[in-house]
Amino acid sequence: MITFQNVSKMYPNGTHALNHVNLNIDTGEFVFIVGSSGAGKSTFLKLIMCEERPSEGTIIIGDTVVTDLKRRQIPYLRRMMGIVFQDFRLIDNMNVYENVAFAMHVVGASNKEIRRKVPYFLSLVDLQDKAHCKPAELSGGEQQRVGLARALVNNPKLIIADEPTGNVDPALSFEIVDLLSEINRQGTTVLMVTHEHSLVKHFHRRIVEIHGGRVVADTGKVEVR
Amino acid sequence: MKLSSLGYLLKEGAKNIWSNRTMSFASVGVLVSCLLLTGAAVLFSMNIDSAMQSVEGSNTITVYCTQGLPTLKAVQVGEAIKDIDNISECELVPKDQAVEEMLEVLGDNGTVLEGLMGEDNFLPDSYRISMADLSLYDETVAQITSIEGVEKIIDYSEIADQLTELDDMVTTVCFWIILLLGVVSLFIIANTIRVALFSRRLEISIMKSVGATNWFVRVPFIVEGVIIGLVSGGLASLILNVAYDNFISSLSILSFFTPLPLDPYRLRIVLVFLLVGAGFGMLGGLISIGRYLKKDVGVLTTL
Ligand SMILES: Nc1ncnc2c1ncn2[C@@H]1O[C@H](COP(=O)(O)OP(=O)(O)O)[C@@H](O)[C@H]1O
Ligand SMILES: [Mg+2]
Repeated sequence: MITFQNVSKMYPNGTHALNHVNLNIDTGEFVFIVGSSGAGKSTFLKLIMCEERPSEGTIIIGDTVVTDLKRRQIPYLRRMMGIVFQDFRLIDNMNVYENVAFAMHVVGASNKEIRRKVPYFLSLVDLQDKAHCKPAELSGGEQQRVGLARALVNNPKLIIADEPTGNVDPALSFEIVDLLSEINRQGTTVLMVTHEHSLVKHFHRRIVEIHGGRVVADTGKVEVR
Repeated sequence: MKLSSLGYLLKEGAKNIWSNRTMSFASVGVLVSCLLLTGAAVLFSMNIDSAMQSVEGSNTITVYCTQGLPTLKAVQVGEAIKDIDNISECELVPKDQAVEEMLEVLGDNGTVLEGLMGEDNFLPDSYRISMADLSLYDETVAQITSIEGVEKIIDYSEIADQLTELDDMVTTVCFWIILLLGVVSLFIIANTIRVALFSRRLEISIMKSVGATNWFVRVPFIVEGVIIGLVSGGLASLILNVAYDNFISSLSILSFFTPLPLDPYRLRIVLVFLLVGAGFGMLGGLISIGRYLKKDVGVLTTL
């Protein structure tokens, strides 16, 4: 699913955010990316989404060599990904339903498809009763579940989550990861950056640790029962 | 593009304008001024052209005799003019004919002059002359002026020259003002759309994260620019039409100048204004979006 071959990233200001990273993630894996702040975790995700391009090395996602991708092809690569943000990024003046529908609208989904799929994904994250609430009326955990529904609604093959539980009550964090696990069980690859050791310990999954822009530890593929 | 997407994009563009109405209002105001000034300058120029054509119809030099000069004397003046070598033609315009010509030009407004025929005629007799050699113009004019009974010489080609000069000056001044206003309106439209882009940056980053194409991100903002342009064009053509009609009717009491009627041009003005307005709006939109999207908008990056 994802292959990094000798990938380095240096930002224009000279920061070496990633150094010679080699990594392979198979389809259907669930991977925790851990590491201290500034280690290069977000940069790793940005390279996958093509928000940043590597200074060196090759990145392959699915059967696309991302490093050869032209700018105008990037949107189509992103359509196979769903992204979950630490700060939720819900649009204030849209209700829950509209926030999820928005992600479908902007990739040209038909109204019929939107009416069919949005309720399904809202019930998947157990928010069918809050469809008409504005984000401000929801708890952090609920907001993140809206974010999750939005990331899922276009049927991505890969979920990218950058500290999705960072702004959620610790008790509710498990709920989010449970949902991600459930999605992963149905075949979607999940990449999740996190700081929370308790989560990593509780869910027995592959753990990749990044430090100073290098992969310093990798449990390798973990088979889930 | 799917129809549902098109409707969505149009709606988003209109929403931008409304949620950002102060700036949109300013954009419309400046663009309307720019279009109005352009239209006024063009109409002014067209009027000068038509005035010149009517002057060119009498593109001759007219020699006026002193008012009240007895007819016999006036005939002698004519003989003296004909005696000058350089005069190729010399035709008497009796004062009654002059009044008739004037009545013709004035139409209904001329009725007040009707009682002036015959003894009460205040116009002098005059001669329309042409010269054989225009390089001797000044000397010939001096010779004519020295004839007793000649009051003055009016050369209509000189008036035509002055009109052309005025037209050129107005055109030049207007050109620079229009250029300036054009740049200003482009700048304001671009800024208006930049504000809209900025206030919707969260939406844009989400659009980009789920894989909306750059075109899809752009279109609402281009629609915003085009709507601003169309509204400005419509408003400007309305104002110009109404203002010009008022101008014509207020000038109709003046006798010496008949303004060009606008009717043959109305539709053209509307179309051109709408087109130019839409073009400006689109350009303004493209300028700011180009600058905004140049650096790939952050997706994971904190906004
Ligand atoms: N756009 C950028 N320009 C310059 N330096 C950056 C940029 N983004 C991140 N960095 C730097 O790269 C390093 C890795 O950052 P990041 O990948 O965000 O780390 P993490 O997500 O693990 O906290 C840090 O030193 C950070 O300051
Ligand atoms: Mg980070």
